[in-house]
Amino acid sequence: MLHWVQHRWTSLWLLITALAALCLFLYGFFPLKYHSGKLASMDDLPNVINGVSIDGQEVYNSGENSVILMVIDGLRYDFATEEYMPFTGQLIKNKSACLYVSVAEPPTVTMPRIKAMMTGSVSTFADVALNFGAPAVVGDSVLRVAKARGRRTVMYGDDTWLRLFPGLWTESDGTTSFYVTDYTEVDNNVTRHLDRILTPDEKKKPPFDLLVLHYLGLDHIGHLEGARSPKIKPKLLEMDDVVKKIYNAMQTWDRKGVLLVCGDHGMRDAGGHGGASPAELLVPLVVLTSDGFRCPHEAGAGGTVAQTDVAPSLAWLLGAPPPGDSAGRVLAALLPPDARQHLYLLHVLAERSARLVPATDKEFYKQFERAKAQFAHFLATGQQSAAKIAKEFYEESLEEMAKYLTETTTDFDMFALICATCILYLLAGALLCVTLYSLQPEARRKISIPKLHRSKASSLIAFFVVLLISAFTLLVACFITETKSQFCSFSPLWTIAFIAAAMTITVTYFIIKTTIENTKDLSTLRDLNAIDYLLIIGTLFHSWSFFGTSFIEEEHMTWYFFWNTLMFFILVRTIVVVVMYFAKRWSGATEFQEKPDLENRMSSVGVSIVPQWVLLIALHRYLRTMNQTGDRWLFLPDTADWLNSPENAFYLEAHLVIGSLLTLSICLWNIRFMNNYMQIHSALTILATACVLCHRIATNALVSPFPIIKTWDPVVIVNVFWGLLISQLIFELLTYIGLFKTCGFTLKGDNKFAYSKPKAKTEDYFYDQMEEPWNIDEVKLSLARSLTHIMYNDLMLIVILLMKPHNVIMVPSIYFTCKLTSKCLDHKLLDARKRKDTEILDILSKSLVHLWIGILFFFYQGNSNSLASVDLGAGYVGLREYSAARVAARMGLHAYAAPALAGAQLFCAAAAHAQNWRGYLESVWRVINVFALQRVYQLVIYCVIAILFRHHLFVWTVFSPKLLYDFVATVFSVQALCTICAIVLLTHASSWIAKKLTYKSTL
Amino acid sequence: MFSLNNHLELRRVTISSLVTCIYLPSIVTVISYKGLLYSVGNASSLYVLVLIFTAELIKSFYLNSNNDLQVKKKASKNRVGDIVKSIVFLLGVKFCFFVGIILFGAPVLEYHEETLILSSLLTLLTVFPLIAHTGVELAVQLLFGVKTFPRDTIIAMLVNNALLTVCGAWLGAVVIPLDWNTPWQQWPIPCYLGAIGGYLLSNVLTVTKVTLMSAANKHPFLSIFVNMMNRLHISK
Repeated sequence: MLHWVQHRWTSLWLLITALAALCLFLYGFFPLKYHSGKLASMDDLPNVINGVSIDGQEVYNSGENSVILMVIDGLRYDFATEEYMPFTGQLIKNKSACLYVSVAEPPTVTMPRIKAMMTGSVSTFADVALNFGAPAVVGDSVLRVAKARGRRTVMYGDDTWLRLFPGLWTESDGTTSFYVTDYTEVDNNVTRHLDRILTPDEKKKPPFDLLVLHYLGLDHIGHLEGARSPKIKPKLLEMDDVVKKIYNAMQTWDRKGVLLVCGDHGMRDAGGHGGASPAELLVPLVVLTSDGFRCPHEAGAGGTVAQTDVAPSLAWLLGAPPPGDSAGRVLAALLPPDARQHLYLLHVLAERSARLVPATDKEFYKQFERAKAQFAHFLATGQQSAAKIAKEFYEESLEEMAKYLTETTTDFDMFALICATCILYLLAGALLCVTLYSLQPEARRKISIPKLHRSKASSLIAFFVVLLISAFTLLVACFITETKSQFCSFSPLWTIAFIAAAMTITVTYFIIKTTIENTKDLSTLRDLNAIDYLLIIGTLFHSWSFFGTSFIEEEHMTWYFFWNTLMFFILVRTIVVVVMYFAKRWSGATEFQEKPDLENRMSSVGVSIVPQWVLLIALHRYLRTMNQTGDRWLFLPDTADWLNSPENAFYLEAHLVIGSLLTLSICLWNIRFMNNYMQIHSALTILATACVLCHRIATNALVSPFPIIKTWDPVVIVNVFWGLLISQLIFELLTYIGLFKTCGFTLKGDNKFAYSKPKAKTEDYFYDQMEEPWNIDEVKLSLARSLTHIMYNDLMLIVILLMKPHNVIMVPSIYFTCKLTSKCLDHKLLDARKRKDTEILDILSKSLVHLWIGILFFFYQGNSNSLASVDLGAGYVGLREYSAARVAARMGLHAYAAPALAGAQLFCAAAAHAQNWRGYLESVWRVINVFALQRVYQLVIYCVIAILFRHHLFVWTVFSPKLLYDFVATVFSVQALCTICAIVLLTHASSWIAKKLTYKSTL
Repeated sequence: MFSLNNHLELRRVTISSLVTCIYLPSIVTVISYKGLLYSVGNASSLYVLVLIFTAELIKSFYLNSNNDLQVKKKASKNRVGDIVKSIVFLLGVKFCFFVGIILFGAPVLEYHEETLILSSLLTLLTVFPLIAHTGVELAVQLLFGVKTFPRDTIIAMLVNNALLTVCGAWLGAVVIPLDWNTPWQQWPIPCYLGAIGGYLLSNVLTVTKVTLMSAANKHPFLSIFVNMMNRLHISK
């Protein structure tokens, strides 16, 4: 099994397995919504209450209504005031309309909220992940019951509705919700239908029973500019006009019209949503009807209601039964004044909820029974006091039941959770072993090959025995725990998962066993210095800090603290080294022997390291103020706010231009590592940067002296940009293969890519036919070097294209930080003792520090562990229409730009400093091991934390988003390491092609 | 176990540490009883710094008393120059602390007063005793590790004090982001108290160590602890 361990991509495979285990964990943690599948019908309405009969259908009937549900995306509670919406505010003030605070459940994203409003049941967290896919609702909904009752339903606005409830609309016109950069057209698309649809026919009836209007503009403004944007106010005025229009139209109808205006979720001051802060959770719900409606509440403001209350209210107004899974109540303002109907309505809802609650011994259930008795008593005798008591009892029990239902909707698949965590734990162990193994010096590893060669067959048998044992253990565990988990259901799909789990356990067992047998010499680890210890302990400790919720919410603080400590340590160390250097130099020749050593240490960095480092600290201090992130201090104004205010546009543009130009110069600097045709590469890079700047001008982020650029189409510019990047890569590969040379092109330059025969002087190379006479490995190394640098350049250019203008400066900052830090972390510089071989330790500390830098800039950029901080805007750069994969890739790359850039920089450094091809592969191997180990270690700790805190109050608001972030981070780690793998494979492949095609022929 | 000279020095170390262990907690206790603990960051708490300054000065006179006997004439010659030099140096160090604290995350545009008070405290507790004992040149050399010093001397104690003070202030910052919403999470109270705590801890450690060392003469098994504490000190 040793070849497994020595295999270069073992840790990549282990990481991919860890990703699969994490998927199992997520499956157990976020159970997909369990629909009872019950479809409601009018026959469900009870006709007998405690022995007293009542005509359910007749009592339930609410009369003929036309209901308009106007959803304004992102309308938060403080927007529905007279200041922003004067007409609506006026109506509320004189009690012609009722205002409720409706509480949305996290996650506050559009699709789960629509689902909640239409099905009346609380949605699960997994809906967020599916928010972008929006598969059709399987269970019952208001629209299905309305359709079953033959109501005409019309929908204008967000096409999420159409995807959620396909085939249930009589008429519809959807607009894409994901194109966030547009905020006028989306709303005009809705409003243009209003005049027609609101005009009543000859019988003075409107042509619909339920009209859903979903306005997206407000949310888009929020995403782009935040809740304080000057564009918010005109937008809300526009919405207010729509309300006025509908209100006036309703007066002309001969039918009762009901208008519900609500938001689906709120928005943060920064504009995002998805979390659980009051600004996101609390949305207004305005109710008004056309027939002389008086709000029963004080000052027009009712209390707090759940968002799920919309579903039964709508269903009742449409004369349809409440949908099968609904657990809400009818809004108090809409309840009929007639006591019999009122009580009957309450009874229907309470009975519905009582059926969903399995526990009959709870207090609210008894309360419900009592209410039922009182209601029957009222029906029999007509006593008003009984009605009053019944009403009170019903309301109490309904409230309790709703609370109970929202608390108990989640049950975790504990078996899957524990199984996944154990597998992750084993994987982390295996990765640790592999990493330690790889940290041995090369010479030692060679010795430790066991003399005892086992035969292939015997190891195969051993493998299957262990596989059987682990499968059997899992099987026994399944039966002993008597779990209801799907994992033990042995349906075909799950059997595959089951066997895969057993396989993983077996493989990790063998890897751990082999590495422990072969890891003999870890003496390199004895030479760790204080900064290495800081890096290792910091990385280890950070995962454990997640036991506190505020450390998850404010994770950036942990990293800022660690990073400051590291910078401080390095500052002290470098100052000490420089001061000692001067002291030794000035004190003369007394310590003659030490001088060359010191000179040697200083030569790589120079005295200027200290001022450079101080400047770096200042730069980081500045970048830290750029984006306020986290949860508690999010509201504080930051530099980005200042830059984005219109009067400081000049400084914003300065940031943008300086950031782009610095990136350009870094790219040009990196071109040194590419092939012989530097001019072409430089030209392509400059053109690509020009494209980025033109895109900025075309999207109005930058003013330019050339007004013509403004008229260019941003999408075309971005397409040109992609074309440039791709052509650069292809050009590089073709040069390597030697196509140009065979075509007769030859350009001057150093011969990095030219095949030559270093052994040519031994003219009789017939003797060593076996040995390759050409310098293949050298050329391979320079190709790998060039490919990694192309990757890094392209990554930087793409990121400056995607970043918000004020964040563009991050890209060169990452480069300078990485460069300077790796210089300072050099063990030769910092350690007092002299050592021969510090290469392995350098790699260890550099990979850790690049991880740190990546995460650090991840937070500098304004990301946090809340879903609200995901920047949707970046997903639509250079896209004309929505396409899930592209948008997701752009958004992911934008969010994880910093870890990606820091990692790419590390691999570039590894390629640039490698002495030979073997050395390059070795260092890549070590770096990948460290990266994978860190990722899986963090995952396993976090999984344990998530299991322990699964009943915590914040589980859906703090722990789950972090879990999703971890998942995405793992996906991107796999992707990044696969890219490195691809580069090596590409190098091998083109080397092979070159061998076949060119250099043999040019002999 | 140790020579007479060393013995005398150890005694000085012990007594000065003991004095610190008494006066510093008393200051903190008194101001917390007065209800002023949460205002230590303001300029109104300057009297604390004055008190600490006086105490440290007296301590340094005590620590230097022997040295004065030996090199009396040399010292008195450019006393004024020395004092001016050290004041300038102290101000420089204070400014460095100020800039450093801001670079490491203190608010830039506000709370300058608080940051200034904190940097004065750090200067007072770290560099000032060192300068008062050794003079500016030697202090610089000691700080940058150019000159090494033996264990269990006054200088070792002072350097350790300085290190632990900075560490304390550093660790104090940990509690600031927690969401406990207590009044003492205001900038710079945790760092301020952390610095004092670190200084105190260092002195307590010194006293404990000396006690253990003298006890180890009678009970040899205690020397394990002494060795352990020696390990704890940051090895250069």
